[in-house]
Amino acid sequence: MICVPLGALFAGSVARLRAAGLDVSPLDDAGRRLVVDAPDGTRYITTRPSDVPTYVEAGAADLGIVGSDVLRESAPDVYELLDLDFGHCRMVYATLAGGDPTPGALAHLGVVRVATKYPTIARRHFAATGRAVEVVKVNGSVEVAPLVGLAHGIVDLTATGRTLVENGLIEREAILDASARLIANRVSHKILAGTVDTLIARLEQGLE
Amino acid sequence: MLPIESAELVAIESSLRRTFAGFGYREVRTPLVEFADVMDRAQEGGLGRVFRLFDDHGQVLVVRPDLTIPVARLVAGRLTDHPGPLRVSYVAEQLRPPPPGKAQRLEERQAGIELVGLSGPAADAEVVSMLVTALTALGIDDLKVALGDVSLTRAVLDGVGVNEENQARLQVAVRARNLVAWKRIAESLPLSDDTRRLVAELPTRRGGGDVLHELADAVPGAEPHCQALLTTLSLLHEHGTADYVMADLGVLRDWGYYSGIVVEAYAPGVGRPVAVGGRYDGLIGRFGAARPAVGAAVLLDRVHEAIAARNGRAASIDGVVVAGGIEVEVAAARALRATGVVVVGVSDQAGVAEALAAAEGWRFVARRADAGFTITDRTDNRTVRCAELAEGLRSLRS
Repeated sequence: MICVPLGALFAGSVARLRAAGLDVSPLDDAGRRLVVDAPDGTRYITTRPSDVPTYVEAGAADLGIVGSDVLRESAPDVYELLDLDFGHCRMVYATLAGGDPTPGALAHLGVVRVATKYPTIARRHFAATGRAVEVVKVNGSVEVAPLVGLAHGIVDLTATGRTLVENGLIEREAILDASARLIANRVSHKILAGTVDTLIARLEQGLE
Repeated sequence: MLPIESAELVAIESSLRRTFAGFGYREVRTPLVEFADVMDRAQEGGLGRVFRLFDDHGQVLVVRPDLTIPVARLVAGRLTDHPGPLRVSYVAEQLRPPPPGKAQRLEERQAGIELVGLSGPAADAEVVSMLVTALTALGIDDLKVALGDVSLTRAVLDGVGVNEENQARLQVAVRARNLVAWKRIAESLPLSDDTRRLVAELPTRRGGGDVLHELADAVPGAEPHCQALLTTLSLLHEHGTADYVMADLGVLRDWGYYSGIVVEAYAPGVGRPVAVGGRYDGLIGRFGAARPAVGAAVLLDRVHEAIAARNGRAASIDGVVVAGGIEVEVAAARALRATGVVVVGVSDQAGVAEALAAAEGWRFVARRADAGFTITDRTDNRTVRCAELAEGLRSLRS
């Protein structure tokens, strides 16, 4: 049972699995079905990206594909086995273009307010750099927050930087590089050792 | 926990206790709450993730977050004269605050064993085999056990010249089970291409003895450790448990705590290990005279889950609900109880006995009829008439 993320990483996930020799054709025309069975007996479940680690950690799926940004944010207890080398993007701290409001915010009232979908990563980044932060958790359209004064800046993923620019934002600090990863449930990784190791070897071949 | 669940758990614990006792392990009991300054010695920098509280003198106490630490303290404090080896077991709860943002039970009941005063493959093999024996005796016969070795991994890293700082980075990666990070760190090390590949692939190596032979050839410094693990594996054959066990060099858990083998047992269908353990030669010395030790604990909630998934709920409980047994048939109920049968007394109002038996799963229902009784077996709906309850029960069971 493999958990595949819907959205930006879906096409790349299917392509990687196909390159590894798996028959993923049922995923191509899954329509609205969230669980599909391949002829080789593999069952695929498709979920929101942030739910992939949840399914894998609980053992509802043996393997999963998910962005490393999600893994760093939720720190699930799973094996992170392979960098699948697609879905590359960067987690950055960005503020409105012009003067960086961060030093000012820290100098006065002593805390910088950051809007993000990734509160754990944001908190850890500011703690690691010794700055007080107030994290505002939002669930979408993070770029709006600095425009309307909700926050001094944002912590968000960017692939090309276009959305940032279009909203008048500029990258100030790079936090981490993210890409798609293969993860495994702790028990499946051992019980299905042969199957898992074969799949890893084939995926690695496809990457070379 | 409901009566039926508790009964299942009691059955699991009795079975485990029997296995432990069969190897000569004797049960100990340790305090739930201890002084923090004592317990904190267990770990460099004090224990993390524990409940701390104050007593009425302002002394800080901790609730035991682990069951091996109190046993280590007991051994170091009260069993110093014991010539060893010392074999002890326990069945008890540990309590830990959950990590932030995770829904996790605070309380975890474990049944475990510790073998103190013996180092080497024979002791390691006994503990691993006992774990396999205990879990298979419970009916988990599709069990799988993975065996890693902290000292072997460290010997390989030392042997190829990975310094302490980089070993610490690798330790962080393996603790998070992040093999991608491990590989990245390994690939950044100032080593020859072959050695770098060997280090990068180290935690992914698993299988049988061939993996260990290859490592011993490649890294002479690790040879004694590979030999020791090979001896352990061959002893498992003697114990009859080798088929369940594979060497897996990625199973290292916390290598600041463990000093030798690390073991995890898995049951299909349960998303986390059902038992964990390993060798911790450094722990007891923190509380007194140093002694080597190896142990393992069965995580009872998870084993319970595994067994419930296999067996489902028991169809019926062996016992008789006697209508009127609480008021008018008290003597009859008492006579039956004296024969060793479980008897539940209820009022003799119509339907009460049947409703209770159906709700709780009792197998038999008995009620007064004329001069004698009728007894119904709810599993097959047979009914017999009898003069005495014990006699009717015998005929239904035969």
